[in-house]
Amino acid sequence: MTDTTKILPGGARRLHISADVLQLSYRLLAALLICVLLSLLTDSFLSLNNILNVLRQASLMFFVAAGLTLVVLTAGLDLSIGANVGLTACLAGTVIHVTGSPTLGVLVGIGVGAAIGLANGIMVTALRIPSFIATYGMLWILQGVAYWYMAGETIHGFPPGFRQLGSGYFLGLPIPVYLLVIFLAIGTVLAQRTTWGQEIYAIGANPVAARLSGIPVAARLLLVYTVSGTMAGLASIIFLARLNSAEADIGESLTLPAIASVLIGGTSLFGGVGTVFGTFIGALILTLVLNGMNLLQISASWQPLVTGAIVILAVWLDRMTRRRAF
Amino acid sequence: MKILTSMLALGVAGIASISAARADGETIAVFTKNQTNPYFQTVRVGADVAAKSLNAKILHYIPTKPDSIPEQLSQIEDVIVKKPSAIVFIPVDYKAMVPGAEKINGAGIPMVNVTDRSAGGKFSAFVGADDYSLGLETARYLLKSLGGKGKIVIIEGVKGSLTNVDRVRGFNDALKENPGTKLVASQPANYQRLAALQVMENLMQSNAEIDGVLAANDAMAVGAIEALDGANRKALVVGINGTKEAVDAIKSGKMLASGDYNGFVQGCLGTMIAIRELRKEPIVAEIVLAPTVITKDNYKPYDVALETRACPTWEEGSKMGMKR
Amino acid sequence: MHEIALNSPTTRIRRIPGVAVMLVALVVCFAATSPGFLTAPNLSNVLVQSTVLLLLALPMTLIIMTEGLDLSMGAVLTLASLVVALVTLATGSVLLGLLAACAVGILFGVANGWLVAILGIPPFVATLGTLGMAQGLSLIVSDGQSVVGMPIAIQKIYSGTVAAVPLPIWMAIVAYVVFYLLLYHTRLGTFVFALGGNRDALRFAGIKVERMLIVVYAIGGAMAGLAGVLMTARMNAGHPTAGLGLEFDAIAAVAVGGTSFERGNGWLLGTLLGVLTVGVLRNGLNLLAIPSSVQVSCIGVLVIMALFFDGLRSRT
Repeated sequence: MTDTTKILPGGARRLHISADVLQLSYRLLAALLICVLLSLLTDSFLSLNNILNVLRQASLMFFVAAGLTLVVLTAGLDLSIGANVGLTACLAGTVIHVTGSPTLGVLVGIGVGAAIGLANGIMVTALRIPSFIATYGMLWILQGVAYWYMAGETIHGFPPGFRQLGSGYFLGLPIPVYLLVIFLAIGTVLAQRTTWGQEIYAIGANPVAARLSGIPVAARLLLVYTVSGTMAGLASIIFLARLNSAEADIGESLTLPAIASVLIGGTSLFGGVGTVFGTFIGALILTLVLNGMNLLQISASWQPLVTGAIVILAVWLDRMTRRRAF
Repeated sequence: MKILTSMLALGVAGIASISAARADGETIAVFTKNQTNPYFQTVRVGADVAAKSLNAKILHYIPTKPDSIPEQLSQIEDVIVKKPSAIVFIPVDYKAMVPGAEKINGAGIPMVNVTDRSAGGKFSAFVGADDYSLGLETARYLLKSLGGKGKIVIIEGVKGSLTNVDRVRGFNDALKENPGTKLVASQPANYQRLAALQVMENLMQSNAEIDGVLAANDAMAVGAIEALDGANRKALVVGINGTKEAVDAIKSGKMLASGDYNGFVQGCLGTMIAIRELRKEPIVAEIVLAPTVITKDNYKPYDVALETRACPTWEEGSKMGMKR
Repeated sequence: MHEIALNSPTTRIRRIPGVAVMLVALVVCFAATSPGFLTAPNLSNVLVQSTVLLLLALPMTLIIMTEGLDLSMGAVLTLASLVVALVTLATGSVLLGLLAACAVGILFGVANGWLVAILGIPPFVATLGTLGMAQGLSLIVSDGQSVVGMPIAIQKIYSGTVAAVPLPIWMAIVAYVVFYLLLYHTRLGTFVFALGGNRDALRFAGIKVERMLIVVYAIGGAMAGLAGVLMTARMNAGHPTAGLGLEFDAIAAVAVGGTSFERGNGWLLGTLLGVLTVGVLRNGLNLLAIPSSVQVSCIGVLVIMALFFDGLRSRT
């Protein structure tokens, strides 16, 4: 636990914000640099269509990673989000198919996601299981249930109205991008401008001090895990609408990139430092790189290597610049 | 702790009593690669249907982590202890699972190889489809529909996997037969829907015109169709495997065709051969199913629930192989 | 705690670690329900199958005790497994292949240690990064294909026996003894225990914390390399995805074994029991032919239950 912020007294809040703004501008600059580089390397990058395309892909990643950001802010981790997305998508898909009502499906999806998040929260708070292990166990349980429930089948073909959520456009912009803006705003206001959000930062920075200063730590943690689960439920709905089908392994490949987005976005695993907006930029940087590699026809084999290098680089630069900022 | 112990004991005993229910006939252990790909479900249902009609019992072994080599090896070692009458075997990797196949040989359990031809080990028979000719025929159908010209994209499966290498080779050979066509990109999407969707979205940016998409499986084909829909663009799309989803898409006119990999029949015939061998009835050492392309003209027989399909009789099945 | 309380039956039961109870319970259940379970060949199966996981879980215990984590182990194992196959194929010498695999492992281990100790990058992030690199390199050097055609000698590493006991079991025993001595009877071990407790105190005491940390991660890398060799021997092939995700299994086994993530309390025997519990569970469920989807959930339940009961214990 060598994170510098921990040593700081509680009065350093103002410094926090300015440092966060600085960190965000570094990240935006990095994203911009990648854009400039890509537009120099390939003609097809700098087209309106491709930019919208990147934004839509980044927003899908953001929905998975947004709730996770709050969990990481409390120095916790949620490894079950991918499996949560998978199972919820399958259940919501079934509901839509059986009842024909997308509204009901959306409600069930978000409800189940929230319930899974709540279960994670209970394990972490009431049963005092470390979040890493609790959510890892949850990952296996959810996956098992999804495999059993789907039995190797897929659910596909949803009403066109519902699919607009994932693939539709409004005023020339993809609908997921609007959802992105809405949730980005909600997340930022919640985390930065409410007592609730401040309490989450405080819990992450120093749980003991937070408890002593009267913050209901357990209740806040429950809420944070439930929000993470709810966001996974929401993400599953968007994925469902985007892919027009549900299968058991839909979310398996999402967890590690989501964690990477949070980390590249500048949220510290030790808790107390980071922003929801940073996570969006993290997701954007990851998406830009993948998009660029596809446009440049670079073999997919290089993707994990490049992603890994970016994660290390981002966090290292973060440490260097933060040291200077303080 | 006592409560925990008794809970565990009850739970395991409960599960055990279910699995101890016995059919009269032989026990066949069926190994498939994962529980997520619909293709392997068709094989499993085929095996179940065949076994039911022949009064044998099927035990399914599927790695808990999709396509895990060490796990399938462990499952083989565990199953050998159980000594099933015979094994129907799809290796998760046709080269790296050879020691597993040899272990089964060592235990003297007869084994039929299905779908992916193992690079080693002794098998009583092989039942599979020919990925190359399937890729070739499906691509030919698409290129014919395009009038032998146009810009084509290939979406590949998992790099280096047996099925992918041959299917893509078939695609490419069909393209060579049609000099009017141009291959503008060939990118892997690992047989995954989401990956295919994003690859297709990205490829549409660098290619203003795409007339045809050759996807190495149905999930990727459907992913590509979603990407095209999202961008309001049109292209003819084909996939391979003949899954329920693809049949629905062909029926509704969204997808052009799907090469039938015929997992159901592979599961049927593999199991039938295993049981026939145990009952000392004549078998066929190799059945490589002739390629069928499912199109809007012939999709009807595929448009029924898997469980209600019937296996071919042995008379029909043993003659379903390609003539070489 | 009072003398009387210690001797009361409930307290005594509480003092038995959750993992030991679960292991015994599982063995009893499977022995009762599955005739093939308590046979010598099957028990040998369980032990041999558990070896690769044990080789990863032992160093993982040390790393977690330093409040660290190594997510790259599964990917490094995979890369090492490919390297041993490729080098053996190219040179015809199994020994060279073995050395190359260990070298790759140590290289990644040192890189992890360097990132964590010198650059101060959190272990989770540093090793998540090297995970990606090792996975990418595996795909690149193999071009996505399995590597086969090695001399038969390589298979013997897995299938050979000494004194009628399979070689992997010997390797597991040797590895356990070495780690036991390392942790409980050397300066490095004392350091590992101390590091989880109080890093600054160590630094004040004049110990080169950075160097020691790098050594701990390097040991992790070396063991991943060794496990990779065993994996190649088992498959008689190198495969670019064979070991992916094993690091999470190892972390789960360590946690099930009672090593704490926060306080640096490690228990090496617990790790061994944790690995065996996972191995017995998988083997038993296979023998009972439990559907794969149910098996998946069972593993999750096992992990959570073990931690839950340990949590109960530590509270009373």
